[in-house]
Amino acid sequence: MEYLSNDKILVVDLAKGDVEEEELSEELVAERIGGAGVNARLYKEYADDDPIVLGVGLLTGSMYPASAASVLTAKSPVTGKLCHCPVTLKVGIEIKYAGFDYIVIKGRSDKPVYLWIHDGVADIADAADVWGKDVWETTDAWRKGVGDDLLQTMVIGPAGEKGLDCAQVCYNYWTGPDRFGIGKLFGQRNLKGMAFRGMGLLEAAEPEDFVDEAFELLEAVKGNAFMSKKGLGPICAALGEADAEEWLSPVVHRHSADYFTPYATNTFAFIDEDPAAVTETAKPEPGVLISDIPALLAFKKLGLSALDAAKAMQACARQGVDPMAAATAGEKGGKTSIDDILSQVAATTEPAAMEGNGVFSPWCPRKPIFGDFGASDTDAWWERRQAVAAIFGIQPVFAVMCPQLTEESMISLSNIGGELELDQETLDTVIGDIAG
Amino acid sequence: MGIKIDALKCTNCMACEMACGYHRDDGFAFLSACIVPYRAREKKDYFGVLLKEEDSLVVARPEGTEINRIGEEADPDKEADASAKPMLLREACDLCEDMKYGPMCVKICPVDAISVAE
Repeated sequence: MEYLSNDKILVVDLAKGDVEEEELSEELVAERIGGAGVNARLYKEYADDDPIVLGVGLLTGSMYPASAASVLTAKSPVTGKLCHCPVTLKVGIEIKYAGFDYIVIKGRSDKPVYLWIHDGVADIADAADVWGKDVWETTDAWRKGVGDDLLQTMVIGPAGEKGLDCAQVCYNYWTGPDRFGIGKLFGQRNLKGMAFRGMGLLEAAEPEDFVDEAFELLEAVKGNAFMSKKGLGPICAALGEADAEEWLSPVVHRHSADYFTPYATNTFAFIDEDPAAVTETAKPEPGVLISDIPALLAFKKLGLSALDAAKAMQACARQGVDPMAAATAGEKGGKTSIDDILSQVAATTEPAAMEGNGVFSPWCPRKPIFGDFGASDTDAWWERRQAVAAIFGIQPVFAVMCPQLTEESMISLSNIGGELELDQETLDTVIGDIAG
Repeated sequence: MGIKIDALKCTNCMACEMACGYHRDDGFAFLSACIVPYRAREKKDYFGVLLKEEDSLVVARPEGTEINRIGEEADPDKEADASAKPMLLREACDLCEDMKYGPMCVKICPVDAISVAE
């Protein structure tokens, strides 16, 4: 695959300790498009090894708005189904710019390791020094080890090492969409995580046409009334949690966005620093980045203040525990004080109850945010919207926010950029195959 | 005429870096961009934007913009961000003089944090 791609599939055998590269054929892309579509095919090809497959969307890291995401595909220990978990923040694009489109991970290492992917080179590296460390210590150690604070990571914490169903794969320092126990799968394979860094170049077949159409789309996106807002508060309000925005406001520092995502879907809460501080804080670890709206609301429902909810989210991020699982365990155990809930985080074992078909992550709110998509069956609409985002590499929360990001526009830009002839029928077939 | 950056409006999405990289390399890339969101203080949630101009390095911080003349000694108390290709080795901003859209970083910024200053 010449365009929008590195033309590389990496197959990692943790048991043998070796890596192999394959070409990404245009035929595979023409049939399966990208992201979860290709991941599912690769899973099937290596099904005897029950692999973890990481893939980029066809548009990931391009100038298509919100093309921020990659996707982890694996058989979930929580749902028993092949699930597709978004890779968000700036981690999703770094995979592509580090030189690979798909990574198939099979086997189990006999010692702790991590994958170090950099500028088209893949190494299985020793992780003995970080085994037993939490998510923050691990990302810090890997960044320090290569002298690059922009290294992007996927990491498990103690929960993943223990093989718990509530274990998350975290991104850099933060909890993310993994409600599926993929963190457990990492731990079972002695895989502490992955680190990515690269400065690649992705060519488009018709770059000027691509940019013209992408900018036209961006202008339409910017016309939305929600573009005057930022962060999780307005999203909570739009979801019917009107008081959540005010509840959260005392801890809000700033809002940030995943790669080229027009709306900032992440809010940083300061815990032991004044949230109004504008200058750089001297505190090394003042708070937590929050992207998990349902989990945040679940902690609120337990009666926590926003400050205490942020403390709970931070503890989950360090331990590599799905915060929704921790909030659920807190509720079941009748925990209402922050001390009890912080104790609960490390003691959580069970996953959160799964909503939907168990294929896409309910970390993303399961109804339209702000925008009107005209959907009569919201559940079916959400599953399809998540599937489309997982195929093309679109930030999932923005995908349920912005009606202008149509399937037609994703197909069109893919064809212009990739010299392809994708059509709606192909997309429908791939969605039907992956959506469970 | 120059580029003006409002670091408080910025959401650190990196679109400007991509658009600038596209201008330099005719593809989707980051390596050659002369405008770069700095994002190395991730745990502190401290971010802004760096811009390499012909004679100066513009550091747009949340608390205000600082313009450092290239060749003069930088403030040793202010830690610089690491980047794969040091900012001072990059081509200076040419305001995308050959692009029909004008400065690409201005065109792409989804939150209008970047503008052209006359």
